[in-house]
This record gives sequence, structure tokens and C-alpha cells, in this order.
Amino acid sequence: MSLSLPGPTPAAVGTAKIEWVRRRSPVLDGFVRERLGDGALDGVTIAVVVHLEAKTAFLATVLADAGADVVVAGSNPRTTRQDVVEALKERGITVVAAADGDYESWHQEMLAAADYGPTYIVDDGAELTLRMARHRPELFARLKGVSEETTTGTARLQATAETGKLPFPAMTANNARCKHLFDNVYGTGQTGIQAMLRLTNRQIAGTHLVVVGYGFVGRGTARYARALGAHTYVIETDPVRALEAHMDGHTVGSPADVLPTAEMVFTATGGVRAIGEEDLALLRHDVVLANVGHSDLEIDVEALRRAATSIVHPREAVETFRLGDRDVHLLSSGALVNIAGGSGHPVEIMDLSFAVQAVGTHYLATHELRPGVHVIPEELDNAIAVAKLRSLGISLTQTRANQKEDVKEMMDGSHHDE
Amino acid sequence: MSDAPPGDVSDDAARRIAWAARGMPVLSSIQEGLTARGALNGLRIGIGLVLEPKTANLALALQHAGAQVSVHCRGRLTTEGVARALEAAGLQVYAERAATQERDAELARGFFQTRPDILLDDGAELIRLAHREHPDLVEDMLGAAEETTSGVQALRVMHEQGVLKIPVIAVSDSRIKHLFDNVYGTGQSCVMALLDITNLQLAGRLVMVVGYGWVGQGVARHAAALGARVIVSEIDAVKALQALHDGHRVQSLSDAAPDVEIVFAATGVAGAVTRAQVERMQDGVILCTAGGGAFELPMGYLNALGTATEVRPSVTEYATPAGKTVLVIGQGDCLNCSDAEGNPIEVMDLSLSLQAFAAEGIATEGRNRPPGIYPVSPQIETAVAQARLRHEGATLETLTEELFAAMHSW
Repeated sequence: MSLSLPGPTPAAVGTAKIEWVRRRSPVLDGFVRERLGDGALDGVTIAVVVHLEAKTAFLATVLADAGADVVVAGSNPRTTRQDVVEALKERGITVVAAADGDYESWHQEMLAAADYGPTYIVDDGAELTLRMARHRPELFARLKGVSEETTTGTARLQATAETGKLPFPAMTANNARCKHLFDNVYGTGQTGIQAMLRLTNRQIAGTHLVVVGYGFVGRGTARYARALGAHTYVIETDPVRALEAHMDGHTVGSPADVLPTAEMVFTATGGVRAIGEEDLALLRHDVVLANVGHSDLEIDVEALRRAATSIVHPREAVETFRLGDRDVHLLSSGALVNIAGGSGHPVEIMDLSFAVQAVGTHYLATHELRPGVHVIPEELDNAIAVAKLRSLGISLTQTRANQKEDVKEMMDGSHHDE
Repeated sequence: MSDAPPGDVSDDAARRIAWAARGMPVLSSIQEGLTARGALNGLRIGIGLVLEPKTANLALALQHAGAQVSVHCRGRLTTEGVARALEAAGLQVYAERAATQERDAELARGFFQTRPDILLDDGAELIRLAHREHPDLVEDMLGAAEETTSGVQALRVMHEQGVLKIPVIAVSDSRIKHLFDNVYGTGQSCVMALLDITNLQLAGRLVMVVGYGWVGQGVARHAAALGARVIVSEIDAVKALQALHDGHRVQSLSDAAPDVEIVFAATGVAGAVTRAQVERMQDGVILCTAGGGAFELPMGYLNALGTATEVRPSVTEYATPAGKTVLVIGQGDCLNCSDAEGNPIEVMDLSLSLQAFAAEGIATEGRNRPPGIYPVSPQIETAVAQARLRHEGATLETLTEELFAAMHSW
């Protein structure tokens, strides 16, 4: 506890964090390394633009170890960790990001990554891809492919492809089952709740908790919240998803129905202004707002600022807006709360998601695909799950030969003829 | 802890104390009554609770009610800024985050020089220390209140052996305490602290909970809610059966040792997890304590290995001679208090409101009570529960004459 001893350097702290991740990432450290070991990525420039913390750093090292020339930037100015940046630089990996940036410095970091002229991008929210299209058209034209992490980024790439402006293939990691079934549901679900409780020191059991949006992230958030004892409410615009939320046991309603009693609100729509100016009047005193969707704009922070008579910071990462006689608390300025206000997704989850990203990038480098949005083939998706299961010592059963016969008969209806 | 000048530290702490107050409607609603009745006026109250923003609110409420409040807490469980903020508010504070064991002992002696009339204790540490080292003080004391189950357990032993000299109110025996604080408070915050510290996922993991008392039940429930497969180890057959009915596997730690990935010791009993069990665990197993303390884990054996490395903040890795690693969170101390922010605010509102009422009870009746362990009165329990329910907008059914008659007929 002596204060006179010098602490470890930031690079050493970052290295220890990356090693912690490596030891709990059996898929990336085993299956993916083997698959990438064929030299296909040798000397290929890959830009990795994902929230820059220890898990992303480990992905970068796996790609670099496979021979790629890796340049790393963050996908959000508030989520870059400086110790991890230092650790990567010490390993000789190019990093064009620094912690504590703002939107302008982040934009410059992205352009710096673009100027390395990457052949492939491992992207998050299509942030670098779309910036290159706008600001570096000549380098954009030389891109051979993109592997995208999120639902939001996939939607952006699809929109770009539909207007004929995506001249290369994009792999959407998000649409692989090993990504969205786990990362969005269990990863964001667990850690979004975790960050809310850590930042506020509040109890969740008995709390009225609203989730706006019932996609994979929204359902993960609602599921974890209810399992921990919250009363869960869901706001949806899509009737089928709203019906699913209802059948899952959550109370579904309009903002006017459910916001006035809400004590905690999570936005998970992937869009913007899920909590907008018109919703502010519905919020009760002492409500806590947090965002678990990709965009920092899901909660209309500007509207909150305009409406507030005062803004104070009662705790780290908490802002309190005075609206008339009510206080509304906002976590992490509306940025992704589990990443900006916590330590990001659990290690095990990112082992799966980044395996999809790495395998997707390798697939782009080894296959001729037409421009447009693609998903890794099902057998690769399955191979990742098998690698994970094997690391857990779990074996699968196989369909028996006679079962296959029976299934075939059932399918063609022949067993009815007997 | 930080380069910021002390003023800034306690200013930040003052804001955190105010934040906690927002989630403590019961304590705030009873404060005026305590002050108006005046029972605490001029009394010296010594507080030995974990020193953080919620207990700070209790200390301030008692001061507001006229008491002279002094505070002692071990360095490991002290939030430095909060200690300094209370000092700035005029309380006598004997707690320093950076204190060594020797310094903690020195601070405790200073604390007892304030000659408290009433002790509000955690783990019965101050009550035991007072009986051992300050018997003259104990003679003059009105009584004490004890927060924890394990502390009350020790006090019962003292009473059976005839050495307890004061009346003690067993706050942890109250339903308002253990049904909420231990289950939801410690359960939630210990599981969340583990996840915050390690960045691990719980879904699918094999988690061992040693002991199925109130804390063990809370840890098991929260871990299972987050997708863990939970195994409970118990010595009590009935509690083990309860764990089975709650959907957990029941196996002795000795049997399950090779399989478990995370172990929560939740017994409050020294030596609950043994060296022999740890030696049979898998590489990378994580050990931590919920509710009790490092005495539950074989820390002596681990520390004697001489291989401790801090692999990330609050995580110590020990290499065993067999070539395996064992990870211990927060040096084996109760991890939600030592390495996170303690229990959630709302449950501490309940527990600390009981402490405030207990202090008042001792102030008015302590003189007339012989030494022993006393329960919190049902009237106080009801008052606290009703205050919380009122705040939540919940309503109660009225006990009509008809219902009353039905309940009292045969």
C-alpha cells in the first residue's frame, strides 16, 4: 500500500490486461490462429476499428501474428483505453488513437487510419468504411473488403450497397449466429446491467426498468434485468417484436404508458432519439437513463441540456439534469454504457465475436466475393461454436443413421403411406 | 490514492454521500422523529460500520439527532474521501484507507478514547475489542447494535460464556435486515463486483457457493439469474434441501472441487475452504468471499507459497507447486465492500434505518436491560417496512374486523 513505490507502467498494465484476455480466449488463441496460419494475411494491411480496449487489442495481436500489417483505431472517442494503446505500441503495432479524445480528434484518428490505405477493415458501426467513402474516395476504391461488427453498421452497409455505392464485399459478423446470439444478448445484456449498477450503486430487485427496443440487445437487457428481480417494461415500434416481448413476460406499452413509473431506462434501438425531447416530460423524478445501443444519439442529450435548468455531476460518469422539480440522471453522457462506463463485453463473448471477425477477414482474403453484404458460411460459424464447446470439454451428439432415414421419410411424407 | 488535494477528494465524497441519500427515503423520513424525541441528544455514539457513502448518511443522521458521533473502520474497508468528508462535517473519524494493521490498531485505540456510550458494530469487532482491551469502558456503556449474522454468532458465544457485559440489539436477526440486505444487497453486489473486477461472463459457468445462509442464497440466486450453473455446499441438511428446491445442485466442496470455476465462500466461518480442497481445483479457479472475510479461505497457505502476483487490479494470482494457478479476488476479503462500493443503496436504507432505531432503543432502555442479545422490535420492523412501501407507492390490504375474527377463531 506504500505510495512511494513506482507503479507498473501503463504499457505493463495494458499488457497484463491483454494477457488476461488471451488466457480466456480459447477460440481466438487456438482455432483462429490455426486458420489464419496459412499465410493469406501475410503483409496485408488491416485496419482494426473497434472499441479500443484489451479484447480488441488481443484481436489485433492475433491478426499481426498471422502476418498482417495492422493499424488500430477506436470506434468511439470515449471508449479508448490508454494503457492498452501503450501496450500495443510496445508490441510494435501501429495505433492511431488516444484516450480522452473528443469527436473531432476521433475523426482525425479515423482519417489517419484511412491514410494507411488498408486492404481490409475490421469495422464497428461501419465508422471507418463510411468515412473513407466520404473523405478518402480514392483509398475507399482500393478497399477489398470489410468485416463489420454491429447491427447498426450492417444496416448502414446494406443501405450503401442498395444504392450501388459499395464496390467491395462486406462480411457482417453481426449476422453470424456466433455473434448476435451471444454478443448482443449475453454480452451487452450482462454488462449493460452491470455498468448501470456499478455507476449508480443502486439495487435492481424491485426496480421499474424500461427497455426501449426489443432487438437482440434489448431482449438481452430485459432478460438479465428480470432475472435479477426488476419489473421489466418494453417499448417497441415493431408489432412482432412487441408481441415477442409480451410473450417473454415483459409489460409492453407506449412511452406514455411506461415511462412515468420508470426508475431505470435503457435505450437499445440502434437508432437515434429513442428517448427524445417529447419523452422528457414523461420521465419521473430520479430516473436513470443509459444507452446500450451503438449510437451515442439514442438518448437526445442535446434536448436534455436545452431543457435543464441546472446540470451537476453527483458521481463519476453520472450527470444530473434538473427539469422543473424533477432530476433526470444520465450515465456516460449517453455513450454505450457497458463500454464507456464499464469494462466492455465479457472476455468469453468477445472471443466468439472476434473469432467471427478474424475468420470473416480471412475469408475475404481467400475468396472472390461479389460486392454486397455477406455472412461467413454456416460451416465456419459452426466451427467456431465447436471450438468453443471443445475448450469447455463439451462434446456433441450426431444424428444416428436410422434417425436420418426416419427424418427423410417424414419429410417426403412416405411414412403416411404405410 | 490520488494527486487531487484532499479538499477535492472529500468534495467528491460529499456528492457521493448526497447521491446515496437520494436512495435512502426511510432513513431520511425517520431522521426528524429521532431528532424531535431527543433520546440521542448528547450521547456519544461510536460507529464501526464499513465506511462509505451510505453509512456516512447514518452517521450524519445521528449527529443531526444530537449525538456526538465517532467512527472507526479498518483501512481496507474505508473510503478515504468519505472519511475526510465526515471529519469536515464535525465527526470524530478514526479511519484511513492507507492504514497498516498497526495503524488500524492505533486508530481503534483513539476511537475508544471518545468513550462511546453506544456502539453500532459490524462483525462485532469493536464490541469484542472493547471487552478485551477496554473493560472499564464497557462498564459505562449503555449497549450496542450488531449488523452481521457472523457478529451476532460470536456475541451469542460470549453471552453463553458469561463474558458479554452489555445488551446488544441483533440487527441482522431482523427480517428487515437479512431478508433484504443479505439476499439482495450482498447477493447482487458480490456477484456484480466479481464481474466488474474480472470482466468475465457468468452464463454457463460452474459456480460454487459455500454455505446457504442468507448471503449464500443471495449469491446463488443472482449467479443463477445471470446464467451460471450453481452448486451449493452445505453442512446443514435442511439448508441443502432448500438449495436443491431452489434449483441448485448440491454437492460438498470436496466432491465438486475439481469441476468448479468460481468459488464464493459465504459461510462467515473460518476455514470453510481448505488447502486440500484448493489443491484439487482446476487451473485458473477463482476464489472470493461474500459477506464474511478472508478467514474463510486458506490465505495462510496461499500467501506462504510466495508466488503472489497482482495480474489485474484486485486480482492476485498464486502459482501452486503442482503447476496450477489460483486467483483470489480482493485478498479474500468480502469483495463487495473491499473492492467495490458495498451493498446497493436501497438495502442499506433498510439496514441502517434499523441501526438508527436500535441506537434510540439502547439510549432509552439500555440502562434497564441486563447483558444479552435482543431482537429489533416488531413495531420498528413494521415502521421501516411501511416507510419503504409508501415510498414505492405500494398499498397494503386492511385487516378488517371480519378477517381479524377469522384469524382468531378455531
